[in-house]
Amino acid sequence: MAEFEPVLLANINQDDSHTLRGYESCGGYAGLKRVLGGMSANAVKELVKESGLRGRGGAGFPTGLKWTFLPKDHPGPIYFCLNADESEPGTFNNRILMEEDPHQVIEGLIISCFATAASTAYFYMRYEYPLAWKRVQAAVDECYAAGYLGENILGSGYSLDIFLHRGAAAYICGEETGLIESLEGRRAWPRIKPPFPAVEGAFRKPTVVNNVETAACVKQIVDRGADWFRSIGVQPDPDNPRDPGSFGPKLYCLSGHIEKPGCYEAPLGITVNELIDKYGGGVWKGRKAKAAIPGGISMGLLTVDEFDCPLDFAGPGKYGCLGLGTAAVVVVDETVSMVDFLHNSCQFFSHESCGQCTPCREGTSWALKMMNRIKAGKGRLKDLDLLLEIADNIGIIPGTTICGLADGAAWPMKNAIRKFRGEFEEYIKSTNPDGYQETNPVPVWETIGAH
Amino acid sequence: MTNDRILTDEMVAEIKAFFPRYPSKQAVTLPALHIVNERLRHVPLQAVVEVAELLDLSPAQVQDTLTFYGFFKQDEPHGRVRAWVCRSISCHLRGADELLEHMCEKAGVEPGGTTADGKLTLEFGECLGACEYAPCVLANETLHKCVTKEQADAFVESLE
Amino acid sequence: MATVLVDGQEIELAAGERINGIQAAARAGADIPHYCWHPGLTVVASCRMCLVETGRRDPATGEITMLPKLVPGCQTPATDGTVFVTKGEKIEAARAMVEEDLLIRHPIDCPICDKAGECALQDYHFEHGREERRADLQPFTSRRRELGDTVTLFVDRCVMCTRCVRFSREISGDAELMVVNRGAHEEIDVFPGFPLDNKLSGNVVDICPVGALGDRDFLYTQRVWFMKSHDNVCAGCSTGCSIKVEENQDKIYRLKPRENPHVNQWWMCDEGRYGWKHVHDPARLTLPRRAGKDGYENVDWSTLPGELDTKLSASKRIAVVLSPHLTVEDAYQLAKYVRGIDEQALLVQGPVPTEGEDERFPSGFTIRAEKCPNRRGVEEVIVGIAKELVTWDDFLGRLTDESFDAVWVTGGYKTDWNDESVAKRFSSIPLLIVQDVFASPLWNSATYQLPGATFAERDGSYVNHADRLQSFSWAVRPPAGVTTEGQLYWRLRKSPGLYNSRAVRDDLTRELLYFSAAAGGVCEYGIDLKVNLLAEV
Repeated sequence: MAEFEPVLLANINQDDSHTLRGYESCGGYAGLKRVLGGMSANAVKELVKESGLRGRGGAGFPTGLKWTFLPKDHPGPIYFCLNADESEPGTFNNRILMEEDPHQVIEGLIISCFATAASTAYFYMRYEYPLAWKRVQAAVDECYAAGYLGENILGSGYSLDIFLHRGAAAYICGEETGLIESLEGRRAWPRIKPPFPAVEGAFRKPTVVNNVETAACVKQIVDRGADWFRSIGVQPDPDNPRDPGSFGPKLYCLSGHIEKPGCYEAPLGITVNELIDKYGGGVWKGRKAKAAIPGGISMGLLTVDEFDCPLDFAGPGKYGCLGLGTAAVVVVDETVSMVDFLHNSCQFFSHESCGQCTPCREGTSWALKMMNRIKAGKGRLKDLDLLLEIADNIGIIPGTTICGLADGAAWPMKNAIRKFRGEFEEYIKSTNPDGYQETNPVPVWETIGAH
Repeated sequence: MTNDRILTDEMVAEIKAFFPRYPSKQAVTLPALHIVNERLRHVPLQAVVEVAELLDLSPAQVQDTLTFYGFFKQDEPHGRVRAWVCRSISCHLRGADELLEHMCEKAGVEPGGTTADGKLTLEFGECLGACEYAPCVLANETLHKCVTKEQADAFVESLE
Repeated sequence: MATVLVDGQEIELAAGERINGIQAAARAGADIPHYCWHPGLTVVASCRMCLVETGRRDPATGEITMLPKLVPGCQTPATDGTVFVTKGEKIEAARAMVEEDLLIRHPIDCPICDKAGECALQDYHFEHGREERRADLQPFTSRRRELGDTVTLFVDRCVMCTRCVRFSREISGDAELMVVNRGAHEEIDVFPGFPLDNKLSGNVVDICPVGALGDRDFLYTQRVWFMKSHDNVCAGCSTGCSIKVEENQDKIYRLKPRENPHVNQWWMCDEGRYGWKHVHDPARLTLPRRAGKDGYENVDWSTLPGELDTKLSASKRIAVVLSPHLTVEDAYQLAKYVRGIDEQALLVQGPVPTEGEDERFPSGFTIRAEKCPNRRGVEEVIVGIAKELVTWDDFLGRLTDESFDAVWVTGGYKTDWNDESVAKRFSSIPLLIVQDVFASPLWNSATYQLPGATFAERDGSYVNHADRLQSFSWAVRPPAGVTTEGQLYWRLRKSPGLYNSRAVRDDLTRELLYFSAAAGGVCEYGIDLKVNLLAEV
């Protein structure tokens, strides 16, 4: 393979990379002009399908296929939601794209809207990104002024509005139907599917929800072609007919105990080791790594012995993790207690569970209470089995919840306890020498009252 | 609850300007709450009633959405600076818990509290999406990166 | 025809029928536990109690392919070839998990909870829950707050099924209820200063599967297992909601709606729900009396029919006022009786009480302005027998010009329905029989005062505004001293034995065309009498 050249991040270090002038000076909006100048919506759809692009938001669903789920010849309106509610712990690639190269995202978004015949796009951005908010808003304004947005874009007859919609700090709004509910002004409780958003989404109309990085990839595919995209990444597993492969460049976020944390663009399939060594400058302070999150905390944990795991859509699953997720790698060094790690994870998911489905609402809350107790030196070995029982039974995979948040809560529990059980047991025994074998319910540790 | 209206004509106009963007008025809930919150640094119950009126909703429907986020304060305004200390995993690994504790001590508040002088509200935040700068603090619109205790002290002291 | 397989048993669906897994299973006799699903509300599939296994049967090969994961029965449509499995280890484990989860923060205060005995959490736990409590949390906080005048919320008992919130948004429409906060901190609440005060508020208590929502009227008055439930029909307005009267030893404690897809679906209004207090009002009339020289004297029920019959038989011109509170059978019996004496006896429709306008809710549920249950039925009895309808106002007018030897007025109204000026018009009637529940000026000027029965004490049928006839039996016995209208008329007509409303109904359905659709019997949802009217056209 030829030396990999970043495209998504190619311009972020240039002056004015976030302005229209800066973007156009690097050839920006040429792709859009070509699309609107002569391609049919179907042709764009086919192009994206052919590229094998899979959604960058976490689930990795093939983007072109998602678009084809829209009803044929729908009278409209069709809505497009750009998911910029990036909230997965460890993940910040969308933020960098929006702050440093917002026009790339917007161009990809306009092309995606054209391909899906959407007439309105809602750019749903999390509240925690004030700079990205300003830059995207400015970029959208520039686009209206330049005729890339609004009525009859570039004389093509195609019209599109992009409206920014600001979240209010809730992780679940990143789930596509949670996002839609939030957009509609209700609590962001994910919807039951079917109907899928492509059939009945925002305002009960057909809707596509795509991630920011996905939109940027669409722009690159239009510029460089499907073959270029397929030349990067990992081919489908020939033994698995349902594996669509992992093509294209990916923005990997590297953080935690790493010398050079940051967002790096690499071909899908790079291993954790490569990422740490080639991009991250090694583990922090020359320490040894103990574990790493492969793609945001909800994907679980890899032990240091599993760092040869390729970070493509299928890779982490082979190592007992949930999947590639957002490809946000968080390195955990040897000084970290897994009890602390899991406590932090449980704290996050208990705080962010939307509270709709019983198993997730109660399971994540109960798990945190147990972790609080373990951390405080009142743990029992039995707790580990209880935590695993919760983890094994909550989520969309066993079918006990509506959305995947619970799976994300479950995987760190499963991986941490199964892969580091000795450490947990040791901690419990040493901090609770008199009671670690107790199996009866313990007295109240933390009462739940008004909050 | 008083009968004095809280939403100014300006705020109402700003909220109404969002109507054409969405096919339903309810979708203007979050934008409206943000508009109120930006001005008042909280969304008192009376404001909820008035927003609900504007959006043809019951106050309960707006409050239902509002409380889901845990973002909008209702009882009293947050400080002139609202700072979130990220506590999610990347920052946690880089000392976020200690940082939050330190800042709370420095500012003399509990997490979630506002200083008596109204300068600062200090809260924990879930992942701020700036993990490469862990531990980080988002104070109003400013992201403080790789915050050391010394920088945190300087930040608290610099508040006006 | 679509065939669904439930636990190996084949269920046939009618053409175009749309039901879910829970409903399909019910037809196969399998009870799928559920909290959040309610047939009258949108599906949210959030409680996860109704998890089942599902799959499809290939129509050609008969081969069954199952989904690997559990699915909520409520969310899974039953279509041709759908397979449901409602039992098994995996399903039981999931149910046990949900039960355990729901009890983590539940106070388990069943001994002091009104819902105990009819609580889904209790019943399901007994059937599907674990025997031991593994959660190391003691949740008892017992917070309670009033949501409005009718409903109180026991915060910690709530399982967050959100039925009540959906009801307030989808059925009653005022959307007073909300969920506040997120995750395990969620609670149901109303917005401060905006209480739950719509006219359908009491329904949220019915649909609450646990003891979270309490009916303030019923609270702590009776344990549910002591009560007996009787199917009845609400007499509050001409909608005629199907209801259940729940009583213990002839004392009513509450009314509940009874499902009727043709009338009230699953709901009833608060006016009807709490509109039974007059049944036990100490001011109820309980003694039959006769006007004498020195005021009224008591009459014995055993001699009364004979005495009345003698007096009436001696009267030439008779009029009866048939109240729209009477059952169809009552009206028919009395009309037939007086017509037996005076072939031209005037049949008058009693005053039809109305209040304001019909109130229609977003779900279509309507509280009618006409505050009586049987205007249509009585009207049709009168028209059927007399061929003309004389209204109360007509009758009052005719009283000035025409003379009557005897007038029998039936009442049964909850509120004052006549005044001195009305009573004065009857002053020249030699024999004025007033049969009523409460005293009134007219009552005070009667020759004979006969105490009447209320809706809960009667047997018979009402016809609602839409010509639907519903039959019911008594739920409580009338107060000592009261004989129901039906029983009295039965005896006046010298019918054998005890009053048999069914026999009367059979007679009248044979005689009066309007009622003929009810001739074959009346099912729990009632009979649409229009069926017959359409055939006539």
